Amino acid sequence: MTRFTNPQHLKAALGKQNYIASDEIATVMYLSQQLGKPVLAEGPAGVGKTELAKALAGATGFELIRLQCYEGLDETKALYEWEYAKQLLYTQLLRDKLSDTYAQALTLHEAADRLAAEEDVFFSMRFLLQRPLLKAILSAQPTVLLIDEIDRADAEFEAFLLEVLSDFQVSVPEIGTLQAVHRPLVVLTSNNTRELSEALKRRCLYLFIDYPSLEQELAVVRLKVPDLSPKLARQAVELVQRLRGMDLRKAPSISETLDWAKALVTLNANSLDQATLETTLSVLLKHEADLQKAKRHLFSPPQRDRRSGMEPPTPRWQN
Amino acid sequence: MDRRIAQFIAALRASGVRVSLAESADAFRAVEELGVKDRETFRSSLRATLVKEQQDIPTFERLFPAFFQPGEPPPMSDATQGLSQREAQMLAEALRRFNQRLRDMMEKLLRGEPLSPEELAELDQMLNNSEMNDLRYQNWLARQMEQALNFREVRQALEELMQLLNEMGMNREHLERLRQAVRANQRAMQEQLRQHAGEQILQNMVENKPREPRDGLLNRPFQAFNEDDLRLLHQEVRRLAAALRTRLALRLRRARSGQFDLKATLRANLKHGGVPIELRHRDHTLKPKLVVICDISTSMRYCSELMLSLIYAIQDLISKTHAFTFIDHLEYVSPYFEHHPATQAIDQVLQRMPGGHYNTDLGHSLKNFNETYLDTVDHRTTFIVVGDGRNNFNDPRLDIFRTIARRARATIWLNPEPPALWGTGDSDMQGYAPLCDHTFQVNNLQQLANAIDKLLLH
Repeated sequence: MTRFTNPQHLKAALGKQNYIASDEIATVMYLSQQLGKPVLAEGPAGVGKTELAKALAGATGFELIRLQCYEGLDETKALYEWEYAKQLLYTQLLRDKLSDTYAQALTLHEAADRLAAEEDVFFSMRFLLQRPLLKAILSAQPTVLLIDEIDRADAEFEAFLLEVLSDFQVSVPEIGTLQAVHRPLVVLTSNNTRELSEALKRRCLYLFIDYPSLEQELAVVRLKVPDLSPKLARQAVELVQRLRGMDLRKAPSISETLDWAKALVTLNANSLDQATLETTLSVLLKHEADLQKAKRHLFSPPQRDRRSGMEPPTPRWQN
Repeated sequence: MDRRIAQFIAALRASGVRVSLAESADAFRAVEELGVKDRETFRSSLRATLVKEQQDIPTFERLFPAFFQPGEPPPMSDATQGLSQREAQMLAEALRRFNQRLRDMMEKLLRGEPLSPEELAELDQMLNNSEMNDLRYQNWLARQMEQALNFREVRQALEELMQLLNEMGMNREHLERLRQAVRANQRAMQEQLRQHAGEQILQNMVENKPREPRDGLLNRPFQAFNEDDLRLLHQEVRRLAAALRTRLALRLRRARSGQFDLKATLRANLKHGGVPIELRHRDHTLKPKLVVICDISTSMRYCSELMLSLIYAIQDLISKTHAFTFIDHLEYVSPYFEHHPATQAIDQVLQRMPGGHYNTDLGHSLKNFNETYLDTVDHRTTFIVVGDGRNNFNDPRLDIFRTIARRARATIWLNPEPPALWGTGDSDMQGYAPLCDHTFQVNNLQQLANAIDKLLLH
C-alpha cells in the first residue's frame, strides 16, 4: 500500500509495473491522488488507458475494481441489487424460527411488532449483492476504481454516476446512507464516441493520451517484447508511426504494435521484407481497405510514396 | 503568480474554452500541490484541471508559453566597451553626422540600453492596439512597433556609420566587434518588442470580454452568417444538443413490452409469502432510431456545414442514427462521424462531395437509398430529410418517398426556405410535403431548436 509523495515517485512505481508513463500522465495521476478527483482519460483506442488503471492498482497495491460500461447499463448492474432468491430461501428455511418468535405474542399487534424488530435481518448487507461501485465504496481497503468506456453508457447513467463520484456515498432506502471508507482512486476512460456531459468533465481531471512518440513506443516494445532485436524493433515502430500518418479507417494502436512485435518474434523474422509484411500486416490493420492502402503505400516506389503520405490541403468551401 | 494564472484563465475563456469556477479553483489547488518550479509539471497540472476537451488543447498550448515564458528579453551589451579613447572620439564624431532622431536610437543600440517602460507605453499609445486580441497578430504588431521606431532607417544608418568609421581608419578588428555587438543588440531589441507585443495582446484578451451575440445568433437567418460566426454557431449547436440530450433522457418512452421480469415479480410477491399474485413485466425503453438524409448541394451549402454539425450532435445523442448526404447521389456518412471530431468530419464530408452546378438529384438519391439502405428504415425509425426540395426538374420519385414514409414511424422534412417559396421554380416541395408527417421551416437556430424539440417528442 503506497501513497505517492511526488509525480516522479509515481512514475517510477508505474515503471515497475511495466507501464511507461509520460511526465504528464504521472503528474495528472499524482494530482488525482492529492485532490481526490477522478481522472478522465481520453484518447484513441488501444493507447493504454485501461492499462494505466491496472498499472496504478499494481503500483499502489490496491484492489482494482472494474466497471465496464455498455449501452443499457443501469444502477442494478453498477451499484447494488437485492438477492431476492436468497431472501426468499431464507424466509422459507427460517419459517419455524419465525413462528417461534411470535408464538408467545398475545395480540396481533405484538406479533407485528416482534416481526418488525426482526425484519432488518432480511434487508441487511447479507442480502445485498454488491456491484462494482458499491464494492469500491464499501471496501475496507482503498481501491482503484476503473470505469471503462464511459462513453458507451447512456446519458442517464452518466448523471447517476455524477452523484456517486462527487460525494462517494450511496443511499440504499432499506439500509440508509453508505459512506465511503476510503476514497477510491477513480479512472474513467472514454474513446470519445460521444461527447460526455460538461458536468461530468468538470468533476474530473482531464488526461488526453495520444499515440506515443517514436522513442516512447520503442521503449514500450522493448519492455514488453524483449525478444525482438533492437534493430528490428526500431524498424517496426517506425513503420507503425508511418502508418499512423496515413489516412486510415483505424490507425494501429500500441496494443496492435505489441501484437505485431510478438508475431515477428514468433515467426523468427529477421528483417521487415515484403514477404514478412505481406503475412503479418493483418495483425496491425483490421480493415481490408486499410490493408490494401498500406500495401500500396509500402510496396510502391519511394517517390510516389512520399506524395501519398502527405495530407491534402484543406480547401474551405465557398458559397 | 496567482494573478498571472487568473489572467491566463481569463484569456482561455476569451478564446472560447469553457472554464468553470470550480475548475479554476482546482487549478489553484493543483498548483499549490505541485508548485511552479518545474515548468512541465506546472503545465500538466494546469492542463488537466482547466482543459476538458480535446479540441481545446491547441488553444491551451498556444496560450501557455505566451503567459508563462521566462519573460526577460535577451540581455544587451555595451558595444562601445573596449574601444580606445581615440576610437570613441571617432565614433562620436561619426554619429554627429546623423540627425537627432536617428542618433538617439543608434546610441541606444550602441550602448545596449533596452527600451524603457515609458518608451514602450508611448509606443502603445501611438499604435492604439487595444482592439487586437489574438496571438496570431503578435509578429505583425511587433513589426508595426519596429516601423514606428524607424527600425529600418536606423539599421541603414548603422551600416553607414560602420562605413564611415572604416573610412576614418578604425581598427578592423575593433570595428568588426562593434558591428557584431550592435547586431546582437538589434536582435535583442526586436525580441523585446515581440515580447512586448505579445504581452499587450494578452492584456487585451484578458480585458476585452468576448462578444456575446447569442440572442442575435438565434434569430439570424443562416445566409447571413460569415466564417467568424460559424465557430460561435458550432458552439451554440453543441449547447443546443446538450440541452436536448437531457430533455431526451426524460422523454425516452417507457413501454411495457410484455417481457416477464422474474426478479421484480419475486420481490413484489414477498408480501404474499412468495405466491406470485402480482406479475411484473420488464420496463422496456423505446429508443428512437433516426435516418437523416441531408442535401449538401450548392443551393444548400450556406447551411450544410451547420446542418451536418447538427446531425453530428444528434448522432452523439442517439446511437442508432444513420446519416446520409446527397447531391446527385447518396453517400453514407455515419462512419466519418463516428471516428473523427466534428469539424474534421464535416470538412471531410464536404470535401468528398464538392458542389456542382445544377446537379442536385433527390430522385436519384432516393433510388440509391431504396436499393441499398432501405433496411435501415423500420417501424421504429424516424426518417428526416434536410433540404430545400429543389430538384432541378429531375424526377422527384415520389413513389419511393411514399414507400419510405410508409415504412417509417414518422417522416419529417426540415426546409430552410419559407413555405411561400415551396413549389416555385424547380422546387418539388409541394409534392413531398403531403407525404411527410411534419414539415418545418428551419432558417435560424431558434426554428431549428423548436423543430428538433418537436421531433424528439415522437
